[in-house]
This record gives sequence, structure tokens and C-alpha cells, in this order.
Amino acid sequence: MSGRTWLMMLLILGLNWGGFVVSLWYAVTHESTRHDQS
Amino acid sequence: MAKHETFSSRWGIILAGLGMAVGTGNMWRFPRIAAQNGGAAFLIPWILFLFIWSLPLLIAEFSIGRGTRRGVVGAFASLVGGRFAWMGGFVAVTTIMILFYYSVVTGWTLKYFLAALTGQLSGVTPGDYWDGFLSSWQPIFFHVVAALAGMFIIQRGVVKGIELANKVMIPALFLLLIVAVVRSVTLPGSERGLEFLFNPDLSALSNYRTWLEGLTQSAWSTGAGWGLILTYGIYLKKKEDVVLSSTTIGFGDNSASLLAGIAILPVAFSILPTDQALEAMAAGNEGLMFIWVPQLFARIPGGGVFLPLFFLALFFAALSSLIAMIELATRVLMDGGMVRGRAVKLVTGAVILLGLPSATSRDVFNNQDWVWGLGLMISGLFISQAVRMYGAGKFCDDHVNVPGGLRAGWAYQFVITWLVPIEFVLMFGWWMFQAITVYDPEGWWNPVHVYSVGTCIAQWGAALALLLAFNRRIAAASTRELAEVTV
Repeated sequence: MSGRTWLMMLLILGLNWGGFVVSLWYAVTHESTRHDQS
Repeated sequence: MAKHETFSSRWGIILAGLGMAVGTGNMWRFPRIAAQNGGAAFLIPWILFLFIWSLPLLIAEFSIGRGTRRGVVGAFASLVGGRFAWMGGFVAVTTIMILFYYSVVTGWTLKYFLAALTGQLSGVTPGDYWDGFLSSWQPIFFHVVAALAGMFIIQRGVVKGIELANKVMIPALFLLLIVAVVRSVTLPGSERGLEFLFNPDLSALSNYRTWLEGLTQSAWSTGAGWGLILTYGIYLKKKEDVVLSSTTIGFGDNSASLLAGIAILPVAFSILPTDQALEAMAAGNEGLMFIWVPQLFARIPGGGVFLPLFFLALFFAALSSLIAMIELATRVLMDGGMVRGRAVKLVTGAVILLGLPSATSRDVFNNQDWVWGLGLMISGLFISQAVRMYGAGKFCDDHVNVPGGLRAGWAYQFVITWLVPIEFVLMFGWWMFQAITVYDPEGWWNPVHVYSVGTCIAQWGAALALLLAFNRRIAAASTRELAEVTV
């Protein structure tokens, strides 16, 4: 594969998978433990 | 006051949201649309529209559901007044009409998983097998099984039904896709497929079609504007960070699409010459999935093992979206005072009965997919307009932002108020233009043609006329004091 393709693949996967993993990790670890009433 | 059932954890919320969003569109539409529209160049608008169409709508829906604690119809009536219950009604009708034929699609995926598992797909001509299946009684049988499976899950309620099912299906779906990706990228010649998907042909960005396809794919794939995440929003705790949960679901949906693309394209390009691989991608959703995928997997080492796993992933994607649609319809009936058990049985009966035409006729199926798929764009517009009518700033203060959470500010208000309607006009206008100039130039006005503008206007018009005629009654029924919110 060309360098351009590698770069694009890393950018696209990094943005989407990176965004997913980071936001999932943040969401789960920063969940309030307080049991609030709805 | 009635006790509200809520998701037990944020993990449960996100998995339920991913289950709603990740469906067959990620698996069979994304790879071929990406392949046909410049590969990596298509991915640029597709990602952009995640931020300026899908995420703003997902955030709005989650917030409306949590704020009003009502299904789509009652939510519109509660948020912007009973006069506008018909707008929520249209969102509900659109998604419920999709539910009728999506149960048929879920049945197809179950059938193909079982057929691949039992070796029925080996040694047959996939095109003939697919045609034989469609012309048999089996689509009806599997449609009924899919609807009953959905009923079984929804009947168990939010935590023991929706949340538990998605806690099993969604991690399994991602795991199965990762297994398929590992197999795909380790095939000799697979780099041709990766090159096709990720090599940026930037000239494609000068083609308006690339942008509109990116917008359409994002709109359909994430489930934004369907009213589904609004329904799940009813079961959020009051302080839930909807901006964070929506962002995670949006990125997760895109990630699943990319996995599906990497699982399919390198296999096609490693086995077939480029022109045949492109032909496979042009075979339409079902053509790619049920005719080409079995052929491709039959020709790779270990294909007999990977094919059932791939169809199991497809079945999980379909079923987890199907249950979100059943819950939407069930919730609308519950707002009218019906208990969950009765509501879900009524919905399932309607799904089985009204899905039959799509299970037995490809024309009906294609027509419904065309009409209500486009109807979703109108649904997205209605949700953005509900926020505008309420006041975008006030909406953020009252319903979106919570202490300690990610905040939606002026940029969000600008996008939901102005950009989403502009995108709607461009996307909707383009599809109508295509219907008139490409799909059915001679009979675009004809209401009985499968892919015509006339059939859309006739069916949307009938739905809107009924909703407007009974708006007062619908508004009253959907906002009555809730008798039962728990299971």
C-alpha cells in the first residue's frame, strides 16, 4: 500500500476508533456513582 | 408518582444505543457506498456529517426523551404543545412502517446464519439459493420468528430485556467483526481492498454526489432522527450526560461501519479482479450480502467457519435494531395507558401481519424501503424543528446540559437550528431529483410505481392527513397521566 493510503487509514481509524475508545472509557470511568432518582 | 424504570448503568445505555444504531446499514450499505464513491474521499464527508447531522439529532432525541419521559408522540406534544403532536406522530409512523419490513430483513439474516452454520450454502449457486429462498414460505416463517424474538426481549422490560440483550449482542457483534477483519486483512492481496477503501481520491470531493452520499449514509446508519434514541432516552437517569453518551454511540456506529468495510472489501479484492469486485459492490444491499458474500467466503481458507460467524454478526446487528423499533411502538401505546405486556403483544401482532406483504413481495419491500427511508429525513427535520420551536438555548439549559457533563453550547444551537434544515433540503431535494431524473423518469409521478415521487407523496400524505385529522385526540392520549412506566 502507498504511504498516502497508510496515512489516510491511520487518520480515519484513529479518529473513529480513537474517538470511540476514548469516549467509551471516559463515559464508563466517569459515571456518577450517586444513585439519583429519575 | 409512578416509578420509572431506568437503565442500570451508562455501559448499559451505550450498548443499547449502539444496538439501536448498528444495523444492517453498517454491514451491507456502508462498504458498497464507500467503494462506489471514492473510498477515503467518501469517508471525509461521512465523518463530517456525523458531527453536523447525526450527533446533534442524537443529543436532541436523548434529551427530549429524558426531559419529557414520553414516547415520540407524547414527547412532541409535551415539548412544543399538543398542536404539534402530529409531528411526533409522523416520526412514529415512519419508524413503525420501517419496523414492519425490518422484521423481514432480520428474518433473512437469521435464515442465512442457520444456512451457513449447517453448510447449506456450500455447493450451491448463491443467486439461485437466494431466489429460491425468497420464493418459498421461509421468509414468512423467519419474519415471524424475528418478530417473536423481539417481543420476547421487549416484554422483559428495559433492564432485563433491552439492556441485557444488548450487553450480550453488541460486544459479541464487535468481537465477530474483529475476527472477520483479521481473516480479511491476512488474505494474500487484501491490500488491494484496503487501498481501494483508504486511498484518497480527492477529486471525488469535487463531486456533490460524494457529499450527499456521505450525509445520507450518516443519517441512515446512526439512527439519528428515527425517534429510537428518544425512546431509550425515557429510561435515562436525570443527570445522565447525554452529550457524552451520544458522542460515544456516534463514534461506535462509525467504527462498526469501518470494521464491516475492512471485513468485506479486502476479501472481495483479494479474490476477484477489480472489475468483478466493483460489480459485487454494485449488486445492491441484498445482492452483496446474500449472493456475493457467500461466494467470497467460500473461496477463502476457513471460509466455512467465518461465514456463519459473519452472518451471526449481521443477525445481532439486525435484531438489536429491531428491538429498538418494537420498543418505540410499544412505548407509544404505553403512553396511551396500555401496560407493557399487552402493548408489546399488540405491536408484535401488527408487525407479523403488516410485515407479510414485504415478506412475500420484493416490490412491496423495495417500495416501503424507499418511501419510509426517505421519510426518516423528514423525521430528522421535525426533531430539529421541535428544538427550534422550544428555543435552542432554552432547550440546552433545560434538557441537554447537566452539572459536570459535556456541554452543548452556541455551536450546537447553530447546527440544530440552521444547518440541519439546510442539510435536509439538500439531501431530500437530491433524492427527489434522482427519483425524477434517474430512477423513474417516465412515471415519477405515479403513486403505484415502486421508486416514484408519487408513491412517497401518496403515502406520506395519507399518514399526515390522518395525523392532522386526529391530532387533538392523539395529543390527549399521548400525554395522559402515565399509569404504568415499569414492566
